[in-house]
Amino acid sequence: METTSLAPSLKNIAPQQEYLLQASILDANRDVLLHRLRGLCDNAESNFETFADYEAVYVLSFLESSAVQQSQAVSFRVRHALDDPEAPDHIRYIGQAELGDRARPTLVRACLDVACSSNVREFLQEMGFKLDYDCVMKGYFFHKGRMKVTVYKIFRLLQPGKTDSSNWEPLSMSHLVELSVVAPLGQEQIGEDMKNFAEQLKPLVVLEKFDHRRLHN
Amino acid sequence: MAAPSVNISVESAIEHQIQEVRYDGQEIYVAPLSMSENLSKLAHKIDFYKDESEEKGKPTSEGEKESDEEKVLAPFQPSLWPWDSVRNKLKAAYTEISVLYDVLNIVKEKHYMVTDPVNQDGPELKAPLQMLAKKRSLVAAAHILSNGAERLKRVQNEMASVTQENFLMELLKLRKNWRLKKVHNTILGELSYKSAGSRFWQGGTFEVLKTSDLAAEGEIVPRKSSLDVIIPSELEGVAYILVEVKSVVSDLMNITSATLKMPSSLGPVSADTYWQLKLETAQNVLFCKELFAQLAREAVQIKKASTPHMVVGNQILTNVFPGVQLSIVLCHHTGKEKKVNLSSEKLEHNHVLEHSLHQLLREVHDRNLKCSAPHPVNAMLGMTRKRRLAGPRAMSRQELMEMGENESLLEQILKQTKHAVLRIRSMHVIDQMAVSIQDPQLCAHWSCLNSSLESSVRVSVTSYGYESIRTSLVLTIGIDLIRVVMKDGRVCTLSFEETELRDLLQWQICQHHTHSIQHLAKVQGWQVLSGIVSSGFGDMEAYGTTSNVLMASPRSNVIVSFHSNPVSGSKLWVKKVEPSIETHHSPAVTANKWASLSGEFQEVNLQLLEGRNLVGKIDMLMARLSLS
Amino acid sequence: MGVSCVYMYPVPEGRSGAHVVEVLQKQVETIGGVKMGSFVVDCESYLSIMLSVSKTLQILHNTEYPASCFAVLDSGATLVADTLFNGLLSHLKAYYQARKGSKIESKGNRYQLADFVIKIGSVTLSGSFKGILVEVEYCPSVIASECWNLMKELLQSLIGNIAESPPPSLKMKMDEIYTPAMTMLQYLEHFNNFRKAAAVSQPPR
Repeated sequence: METTSLAPSLKNIAPQQEYLLQASILDANRDVLLHRLRGLCDNAESNFETFADYEAVYVLSFLESSAVQQSQAVSFRVRHALDDPEAPDHIRYIGQAELGDRARPTLVRACLDVACSSNVREFLQEMGFKLDYDCVMKGYFFHKGRMKVTVYKIFRLLQPGKTDSSNWEPLSMSHLVELSVVAPLGQEQIGEDMKNFAEQLKPLVVLEKFDHRRLHN
Repeated sequence: MAAPSVNISVESAIEHQIQEVRYDGQEIYVAPLSMSENLSKLAHKIDFYKDESEEKGKPTSEGEKESDEEKVLAPFQPSLWPWDSVRNKLKAAYTEISVLYDVLNIVKEKHYMVTDPVNQDGPELKAPLQMLAKKRSLVAAAHILSNGAERLKRVQNEMASVTQENFLMELLKLRKNWRLKKVHNTILGELSYKSAGSRFWQGGTFEVLKTSDLAAEGEIVPRKSSLDVIIPSELEGVAYILVEVKSVVSDLMNITSATLKMPSSLGPVSADTYWQLKLETAQNVLFCKELFAQLAREAVQIKKASTPHMVVGNQILTNVFPGVQLSIVLCHHTGKEKKVNLSSEKLEHNHVLEHSLHQLLREVHDRNLKCSAPHPVNAMLGMTRKRRLAGPRAMSRQELMEMGENESLLEQILKQTKHAVLRIRSMHVIDQMAVSIQDPQLCAHWSCLNSSLESSVRVSVTSYGYESIRTSLVLTIGIDLIRVVMKDGRVCTLSFEETELRDLLQWQICQHHTHSIQHLAKVQGWQVLSGIVSSGFGDMEAYGTTSNVLMASPRSNVIVSFHSNPVSGSKLWVKKVEPSIETHHSPAVTANKWASLSGEFQEVNLQLLEGRNLVGKIDMLMARLSLS
Repeated sequence: MGVSCVYMYPVPEGRSGAHVVEVLQKQVETIGGVKMGSFVVDCESYLSIMLSVSKTLQILHNTEYPASCFAVLDSGATLVADTLFNGLLSHLKAYYQARKGSKIESKGNRYQLADFVIKIGSVTLSGSFKGILVEVEYCPSVIASECWNLMKELLQSLIGNIAESPPPSLKMKMDEIYTPAMTMLQYLEHFNNFRKAAAVSQPPR
């Protein structure tokens, strides 16, 4: 048996970045898109891979909420697969979108996914986090190489924390389409690959990079 | 003025000139000219040369005025009064207006004439004429249509004959089965398994050509297809993986056998083969190359094996069992090599193992492509489900290491080979014994459902005529050992050596004898005094242990002892308890003298007993003795 | 994975820690332990700043569970996560900061003795030796009460009467299914004791 060599290699954290393109499609046209994706992506022979995730966003911020400090608030997204109770919970930290140059084909932001035990919600609250909002995302998953495509619908929970389907309320009449790759820092080639892939989905959906900060204002 | 019956309004026809009339009837006017534009326009109308000569000789009525005007306009119109034509036209208009005024007056006064509105009918159209016209236009339309049809038909005919069209159809067919792309003016295709998960370095780009280009050089060859493919030179020819399991007499590995052997059924591909076949063959070449490269790499890397694997040129040699070796040869026949004498050695190609090899690599490809879906969906791609749980479940180092282990292709095929060899060996042993041993009978039932690493067989031992007495044992043949479950539920494990199996079976036969005799005892009311399947006493034998059974007759006056040993055979002793009963009455005892021999037990010569087999003989003997 | 018990082995006056460790190792080898690599358990404390209530977050790693990171709060709530959890902490800098000189670790050899794994670690707090921790793991079982007597026997032959009763943090959970987090809590308890002792002997400047 080797000595401790295994441990340090796993402790080193390569900064990961998420490359993201987004779009939305009306519910009525979803199936057309799904079939198109099935043709384009890997594992075409198997059935559609579905998922249903419960996401709760926790925020840690200072008590005195001055504007400067508010911007420093840290939010963790905690996800849990409803359709696969065995799977671990996940904490996801998403950084601000990198400003970078405009010519970049995709949105690029820091991203960190940490699988953890299922007591994560209580743990975060004990650390001082507060629940911001929660929702359920239900839809389909595809992959092509390391590109991940998700087509899903967002449901609001009528009562926060209750995840049975009677408690869901669709947020809109459309599905969100996301094309994303999580990769170590500095692999700009991915953006081009994603753009080429997105081209093939036109005109069903036009995947674009959205600056979420602009949406808030 | 009296009220007229008809009102006539007089107005200038159009204020502005019409530039165009649109389809919707809207009229677009030319914008009216401004004064200066009008002036210059009019000035342009003047023909200077002509008017000059005419004007000169013409005495004008307004001579004085003219001369005045001429002076003013002298700088640009030296000899002509520019408003002359205007004046003339105005004059003419004036005359006309005067005439019109007179006419109107005449009409209005009604003294001289009366105007009546006249009903104007369109020209009368005659039906036959109309029909004729319609007929003619229909004929014209029909002509156009039939012309078009003719042309289409001609194009269709051309498509069938002209290669250009044919080529496109073929290209369409090609496109359905292969990946194609257009680079500048050439069409390139891809025949490698990269899109199916292969990570082999060698590419498989082929070029698509029109055959008409080639045939243009003068030779007229009737070709089946108008499309041809050019495959890279390193993928030309036919290839396959030759898998041989050889028993080597000497310890030296036979390296020279790595020469190319090509079965006659796999000839080289001729140049004018249909492209589909050509591409498939090339793809197979690439696949075989990848398979061999992978195996060769593993053979060099694996250090665990007791005897190292050898890679010599296009051959990989490994030891399966002592004296048995597996050779995997990449046979790539490009058609350029010299003819090798093929008949020198009989090919012992193992198709099953070759197929397994192909299957194993395809599984690797499949694994490369397939990854379990992440749950929740933002989890990292490309991890196994178990690995995702490793962190939160705090898996130990041991568990993680086991997860990382991946068996190589070579190890897997070696295992399969070992199993195949072991299975065939066991089969031989059982068959041989079934043939050579008549009493009892051996019967093997091989299960038809087995994996490439495990198979099982049930061997039952019966005696003719006594089939209800059966000793059955189940052999599970694994990779390099055989697990045997015996009748009494005991499990024993044998190694790959075939003698071990033979010994075991022989021992089981001995046991079968004692079991059968015990069974007979039950039926005939004898009492079994002892039954030992492997007794430790008796003479020393080369191998195996003796099974024996001791029984007493129903009247307890006769005791029979039976010994069965795989080496020395079966022996039977009989002892009479009551001396009053004369021993020579028993046909089993050949003479009286035996009664006085050492010990009380007397051996019975089983050979001379009557009966079809051992159990039958003893059955008969026991039946006789129970009466005595 | 099995049940583990961690005990502090006192270093007698006038003996060096390294020497005591050596004696222990000899002892383990005498009873048949086979050396199988080494191990490290480390712990670092993070203090909350600017929050209304002061909180401590302890981050532990164990080479025995190389893919995991254990986070423990004051209440004993334990989160088991990927090692990537360290990355999350760097985003929490404004709220939780590492306490300087709080890094403590137990490091040593790992022995296998049939179904037992014995680890003898010397504890160092910011570089200086503080004591010895002995961990004994019985692999085939996951219920502490069922194997405690077996473990006690082995432990007592090694470290004597220190192992008279199960470790305090395990006492309440003797009948529960044992989890790796319980091992980490035992280590944390010992680490905290070492830290306190260090703080007493070295009053803050």
